[in-house]
Parts: sequence; C-alpha cells; structure tokens
Amino acid sequence: MSNDHNHLNRRRFLSNFAFASTAIATGVGSWVVRPDWANAAADPIKVGIATDLTGPIGYAGNADANVAKMVIKEINDAGGLLGRPLELFIEDTASNESVAVGNVRKLIQRDKVDLVLGGITSSMRNAIKDVIVTRGKTLYIYPQLYEGKECTPYLFCTGPTPAQQCDEFIPWLIKNGGKKFALPSANYVWPHTLNVYARKVIEANGGEVIFEEYYPLDQIDFSATVNRIISNKVDVVFNTVIPPGVGPFFKQLYEAGFLKNGGRLSCVYYDENTLNINQAAEIEGLASCLDYFKALTPEDPFSAKLQAAYDKQFPGTFLFAAGSAATGTYRGLKLWEAAVKEAGKLDRDAVAAALDHAKIADGPGGPAEMVPGKRHCKMKMYTAVAKGGNYEIVARSAGLVDPKEC
Amino acid sequence: MDNLFIALFEILSFGAIVVLVVLGLGIIASMMGIFNFAQGEFVLLGAYVTYIVHSSGLPVWLGMVAAPFAVGALGFVLERTIVRRFYAAPIVAMLGTYALGLIIREIVRGLIGGLYLSVPEPIGGSIGIGAMHFSTWRLVIILITALVMIGSYLLLARTAFGLRIRASLENPALARASGISTNAIYGATFAFGAALAGLAGALIVPVFSLFADLGLRFLIQGFVAVMVGGVGSFAGPVAGAGVIGTLAAALPWIIPPVIADVLVFVLAIIFIKFRPQGLISGKGV
Repeated sequence: MSNDHNHLNRRRFLSNFAFASTAIATGVGSWVVRPDWANAAADPIKVGIATDLTGPIGYAGNADANVAKMVIKEINDAGGLLGRPLELFIEDTASNESVAVGNVRKLIQRDKVDLVLGGITSSMRNAIKDVIVTRGKTLYIYPQLYEGKECTPYLFCTGPTPAQQCDEFIPWLIKNGGKKFALPSANYVWPHTLNVYARKVIEANGGEVIFEEYYPLDQIDFSATVNRIISNKVDVVFNTVIPPGVGPFFKQLYEAGFLKNGGRLSCVYYDENTLNINQAAEIEGLASCLDYFKALTPEDPFSAKLQAAYDKQFPGTFLFAAGSAATGTYRGLKLWEAAVKEAGKLDRDAVAAALDHAKIADGPGGPAEMVPGKRHCKMKMYTAVAKGGNYEIVARSAGLVDPKEC
Repeated sequence: MDNLFIALFEILSFGAIVVLVVLGLGIIASMMGIFNFAQGEFVLLGAYVTYIVHSSGLPVWLGMVAAPFAVGALGFVLERTIVRRFYAAPIVAMLGTYALGLIIREIVRGLIGGLYLSVPEPIGGSIGIGAMHFSTWRLVIILITALVMIGSYLLLARTAFGLRIRASLENPALARASGISTNAIYGATFAFGAALAGLAGALIVPVFSLFADLGLRFLIQGFVAVMVGGVGSFAGPVAGAGVIGTLAAALPWIIPPVIADVLVFVLAIIFIKFRPQGLISGKGV
C-alpha cells in the first residue's frame, strides 16, 4: 500500500518535472506565430518582437505585439518577403530589464531572428541594445517616442524625437497659451533631456521658463507644485510627470482653478490611452503633439483603414495609439519590409544600408522616411487638443518633420 | 496669507488620506500582531469595487458604501481560510499576506488592462474663498476620516465587542477561559481592518484614479507610520500616520520634492532609532 503511494508520488513528480523542464526550455512568456502557408523550398524569415507584455506598461506592449501580428499577417497574406513567409517571435520584456535581457537573448541565440523590434522605455532600450546589436549582430528597431541621442549603429528609431515634438508645438503653445511656462517633471532621463531641448525652443520663441522641477516617480500629491503654478501666474504647463502622478496632478490643477483662469495644459506623450486617467473636464484644452491621433481618421483614408483593421482584429483595451509605440511599431516593420525588398537579402549590413534611406508612402498619420545617415525617421506631426474627452486636431506640420538627431 | 491657508489645507487633507489608509493596517497590526502586507491591495479592492459600481451605471456613492462591506467580507473569508494559519509565525504571516496582496494586485491589473482609470467624485469641484480654491472632495475626506477615527475609537474603547477584542489581544488564553471565542474575534477584527481599507480605497480613488499599484504606493508609508506611531494601541498608528502624512505633504513646500521624499524616511529611521517603542507605547486603546 505504502509502496503504491510512493510510486504514485514519483510518477507525479516525474510528470511535473517534465512539464517544468518543457516550460523552462521553451520559456514562459514566449509566443511564436507561424505563417498560415508553409513553403518547403524556403525557410521563413524570423521577426522578433521584445516588448512589455506584462508589468505597469503592459497595455502599451500588448498593443505593440498586436500591431506586429497585424503587419506580419498582412505581409504573409500578400505573399511574404522575397518569396518567403514571415514567422513572428514575441518575447516578454516584463517591464524588468534583467528579465528582458534573458528573453531577448533567447530571440537572438535560440530563435536566431533576423530583426528585433521593441523596447518601450529608454532604460529598456539601453538594457537590450547591446545584446541585440553588438553581441547579437542583429538589426534593432526602437519604436517609441523618446529623448533622442541614440546613435548606435544598426539601431534605428521610428518614434518621434524632442525636435519633432517641440519645434512646431511650442510656438503653437506660446500663441495659444502664453509666454510663461512651467516644466513639472518626473525624475528620470526622458524628462531631463526633453526639457533641455524644450527650454531652448521656449526661449528662442520669446517664452520664459518660470520653473523646472523634478519629482519622485511615484509622487501623487502635488499641492506645493500646483500652488507655485497658480501663484506665479503660469500660462502653460508643459508636463512630463508620468502616471500614476499625472492624474492627481492635473486634478489638483483643475481644482485650484488653473483652467478656469485660462491656463493651458500640455503633455507630449498624451494619446488615447491616457485620456481616461482624468475626467474630461479636468483636462479640457490639454494639448499634445504626436505622429498620430485617432481623430485623424476622417481626413486620412489610410489611417482610417489601418485603425479600422486594428480595431476589428483586436477589440478591447489595448488601443492603437501613438504614445504606446504602436504607430512606431507599424512604421518600423513597414520600413524594414521596404529595406529587405530593396536589399534582396537578409544580410544585416545590406538591410541596414537599405533601411538607412527607406521610405513608406503610407503609414499612420502619413508617409515616413529615414533620414540617411541618421537612423531616425522623418514623419508628419500633429497637434491635438482634448475637447470633451476626445482629441481635436488643431495643427498639422506642413510636411515631414526632421528628427534632428545624430 | 492665502498661500498659508492653502498649504495648511492641502497638508491636512493629505495627512487625513494617510490616516484613513493606515487605520485598518494599524488595527490589524495592533490588535492581532499581524503585519498585513495585503492591506494595500484591500485599499485597491475598495477602489476597484467603486469603479465597478460606477462603470455599471450606478451612482458613485453607492460604490463607496458597498466597498467596505465587500472588502470586509473578502477579508473575513481570507482570514478564515488562509491568514489564521499564520498566527503562530509572524514572519511567515508577512510573506503569506504579501503573496495574497500580489495575487490580488495582478488580478486587478489584468481586469483593468493595466490602465489608469478615472472615477468621478460624488461631490466634485472646489469651494472658492477669495482667490483661494479648496477641493470639495478633499474636505469631505477630512470629515469622513475624523468620523471614522472617532467611530473606531468608540468601538474599541467603549463597546463590549471592543473589550473582547482587547482581551483576546492581551491574554488569549484567559479570554478563551472566560468564554470569548478568540477565533471569531480575530476573524471579525481582520474583517474590520479590511473594511476600513476598502473604505479608504473607495474614498481616495477619485483623487488618485484607479491603477493596480494604488495600494502599493501607500503600503510602505503605512508601515513607516505604524513603526513611528508604535504597535499595540489604536492611537499609536493613527498618530504615526498623522505625522508621516503631514511630513510627506509639507516637506515639498520648502525643499525640492526629490529630497523631501527621501527625507521623510530618513527622519522616521532616526526617530525609531531613538524611540524604538514609537510615539505611543503600551497596549490598549
């Protein structure tokens, strides 16, 4: 009897062990999306996505993974690339750099992908870029809006830079808000670097920075800051405080009468996802400047088509929005597709050389092209203002805006 | 002068929020000797219940009334099934409740899609006196905190039930010999602490919006408050929360916020070094 018992336990142990070792071997948090059509003659081209599927910014990472699935499917349905199907490998970077490095290494060493696209925060990009570019000898595309100054060879950026988000936006704010700026900011690299650029543009356009102040990332009470803004009669709040602090901050500003007195809120990462942090009245008139807003769909047929296709395939909470790098992901994959077509092969140097001047005629918000030698992307930029819980486009760049990087 | 009034009001209101959050934590820590690391997630659940009620089209205040009952009931179930197994080992209890908190937090994160969602206050806007504006809802929070504090004090100090709770804490064996079911008392106390956290979450969610790490934000501050205030009594953690909340809100007015954030903890550590028993030592109310 007792022998039976032992036997069962051992068997259960073995089966658990087998399950666990399978999980370790394939990795939890790995997804492979195989093409529908298999071509025996040609191996699939492997595309790696490393993004934050879990953790605090999981909503952004999931949207990016969805966009990648959509683009890869679209390319496969149209016959693939160079006659070969695309296979998509998705790894979770889990909003945690040490987990991310391990998972990205899997993409490089185990899956041997031809391209890695991903990373949302700058700290994530810095953690994984060496694994991909230097040791991994693989091409890397970073899709998020960021503070600039990333000039690593074989690393291409497809999101907006400070120049793209400030050059047209800040003169607009001065005209439609006033000359006295406050720069309340979260204490990490993006706000610090962006503010240096923003301050230059503000002062060059006759504006004035009343104060620039940094807060711990988890601060959620801003009464001292709000009081400083009100008592100094600030016209424009150029905000880089991030969630969770940004919601209470805007609310306290509203309650202190900032908007009622004609103050203008602005925040360059604000997209459709962040609209819900506050009630509509609390952020009425908030201005943002990004490469895409859903409000563009009535005027831009291609954006409308893209948005509709995404919403149909992925209804739910993960929105196709510029602030979560979803548009940069689309742009990055399509530019890479164009580059591979031109190069005619997947050799890293050949693709990088073609990607250096790649162009796409259509994308979210309009066309895009890489600036030769700069590994950054020219794109159209839009200024939008929150009205009653939605955005309204109030200004459009005349053409493609230069990233002014590297 | 205007500035001074605004500063005092804002500091008082944030102090009240911290007191409200710490109240439940303090009662569980003092009356049961358990450091409940899931307390932050009870706050989160209170906020989530309010959000659910609001998003189903019912008035927000209904959610705020429902939240303490829902969270209290869950607290009771968790105490009966899980937490009661930990009473003999306080360190294990910390890890166990931390694990519970982690599970609750990640489930809520999944349910709200990791987003930040706004919940309107039942009484919004601000009261203007001259050029000064005072947030109406923060005023309500200050009032409710005062009422809850007085109510909890009366419950523990003046009722027969409060006497039983204190008896079970001071001498469980004698309490049992006197015919008090300490088991039931522990369950009820834990549920009461959880319900207070649920109420705190429901009241603060309009101020801070709903997000998965809402409770985590207050957990560390809460524990520092309990340490500074002193474990064992009802008044200790409340006094500690008042001090920590006031400091956290007041320091950014005079020094850079990044330094203020650290300074609160440094001051707390120095204080505990010289007065390890906390502001108010001793057991009882």
